[in-house]
Amino acid sequence: MSSVPAIEARGITRVFQSRKGFFYQDVTRTEALRGVDLTIETGEIFGLLGPNGAGKTTLTKILTTLLLPTSGTARVLGLDVTKDTERLRARIGLVLGGERGLYNRISARENLRYFADLYGIPLAEREKRVNEVLEWVGLTWAADRRTEEYSRGMKQKLHIARGILHRPEVLFLDEPTIGLDPKSARETRKLIRSLLGEGVTIFLTTHYMFEAEELCHRIGVLSRGRLAAIDTVAGLRELVGGDRTLEAEDYGFEDSELAAVRHLPGVSKVVSEEYGPVTRLTIRVRTGDLTIDTVRQSLIGHGGLQVRERRTSLEDVYLDLVEEEAR
Amino acid sequence: MATVSVPKAHWSGRRSTLASIRLAVLTFLADPQWLIPSMIAPIVFGFVSFELFLGTPDLVVYVILGAGMMSMWGQTLYGSGWATGQDRNIGTLEPTLSAPTPYVFVVLGRILWNVVSGLIGIVLVFVVVVVATGTVPSIDNPVAFVVLFVFTMLTLAAVGTVFAAAYVYTRYAGFIQNVGEFAFYIGTGCMFPIVILPFWTNPIALLFPPSWALDALRYASIPGYVGFSWGLGWDVVGGVATTAIYLLIAGIVFKRVERHVLEVGNLQEY
Ligand SMILES: Nc1ncnc2c1ncn2[C@@H]1O[C@H](COP(=O)(O)OP(=O)(O)O)[C@@H](O)[C@H]1O
Ligand SMILES: [Mg+2]
Repeated sequence: MSSVPAIEARGITRVFQSRKGFFYQDVTRTEALRGVDLTIETGEIFGLLGPNGAGKTTLTKILTTLLLPTSGTARVLGLDVTKDTERLRARIGLVLGGERGLYNRISARENLRYFADLYGIPLAEREKRVNEVLEWVGLTWAADRRTEEYSRGMKQKLHIARGILHRPEVLFLDEPTIGLDPKSARETRKLIRSLLGEGVTIFLTTHYMFEAEELCHRIGVLSRGRLAAIDTVAGLRELVGGDRTLEAEDYGFEDSELAAVRHLPGVSKVVSEEYGPVTRLTIRVRTGDLTIDTVRQSLIGHGGLQVRERRTSLEDVYLDLVEEEAR
Repeated sequence: MATVSVPKAHWSGRRSTLASIRLAVLTFLADPQWLIPSMIAPIVFGFVSFELFLGTPDLVVYVILGAGMMSMWGQTLYGSGWATGQDRNIGTLEPTLSAPTPYVFVVLGRILWNVVSGLIGIVLVFVVVVVATGTVPSIDNPVAFVVLFVFTMLTLAAVGTVFAAAYVYTRYAGFIQNVGEFAFYIGTGCMFPIVILPFWTNPIALLFPPSWALDALRYASIPGYVGFSWGLGWDVVGGVATTAIYLLIAGIVFKRVERHVLEVGNLQEY
């Protein structure tokens, strides 16, 4: 007896070639993944966090046998994702979510029956399983309605129901709450959390730090096809250590003023963002005890200036990591 | 910690094919009015071939076979390829492929259903022609007719399977189909016997299993029919052989195609 990690990826890269133009003569190469190494143990909830275009979906598809890597190897449940596809597909579940991916002219129940058949769930158990998962995601009341009548949130629940229909050992969810209203998003997160109690290993992608923080044991930050960090929430927090964050807001700042703030003692980074007419400077202080007053003095002449100190958040860490990679 | 245990994937080709037929039927029943547009063409062509064969003694059989087969063929092509294109459009291709069952069984189910639904077209053409001409066609050898008819459907399904592979391969297969469809109607003898076409087209037509089967069908149903000189027996042999080759090609191509799409990454609209 030996134990294997739920997911193990080594040096995964993926290049897409897309063609455009009348004769498809213009070829664009996109390096979606540029060498990803990853190990996820059984029973873990792992969150892959990254902005749009970071390569989250690409990695998810490679790990679920729907896309071949350009190079590198990956094993899920000890099975090679490019060779043992048939056996692996039977043991993992995938929730791509979204408006698409369902047969809209038939009912939710019929959608599930169809997939139960493709997964070879014993016929004697089929109805029981279908009813169970419908109940579990809270769709029993709408089970016999055509899914074209479903709201976005109901569709998402149905996607999840389909994902767990065959009791997969590892469940992959790609941006499970994207586009959902806050209530549906909350319900979806609750469903995901309760899956963990069933011993399912979960790999989910998201571009919300708070979601990863709320759900996941460990988080990998993916930026432009590379893992910029991979750690527990606590570990990621340590990356910012004793950092402090100050925020200054007013109706626009001069470049020279920005430069002045950047050169204040102890300042490691200044990010300027616009919120309508208001500009906000987020000032990260690594060392020293830069005070609100010092910041005020360097921005003298701003009537409406507001300066405050806030806790450095994981969101800041995330933005740091994503930016550093992007540079 | 999971221990290394590798249970076999549980799936059955037969069950998946049946599930696929069931899905197709349910989808059809959800909006049966969609059948109407696909029935218009066979009826129009029914009248075209009616004009074409006016004065021949077996006019009615020609019309029914020509237009009816055309409807079947349209349904088969439509069913094989279109459904996969649709899977890609609505995003169900990925969930379907992420199940352990090979996709070819899903396609097979759809083709079988479409061949059967093409029969509705034949019945429709039959009714229209009988009402319009006031004659009920007599068939020489009804038993042979039915057997060969089923056989013809199977040859159509075999070609449909190869077409479906093209649809999985590329989302531009629809274009190829649109261009190819009409050539097929004529080239395979769907509309009228290919022996009346220029000789050079015949060898090409013989590459398609339905050409053989349709010739056999005409031999069995039209007295005094002059088709391929080798006659009904060799038509059947040729039909069986070409069908077997097509199924073999479909099997090989499907394995390759599934690999290819995973390589290119075109399972979804991108
Ligand atoms: N099928 C495809 N063809 C061409 N480019 C693609 C394809 N899929 C993804 N890409 C590109 O690869 C990069 C990563 O995409 P993706 O994995 O979808 O990112 P994410 O899911 O993190 O938003 C993007 O630049 C995207 O444009
Ligand atoms: Mg994505």
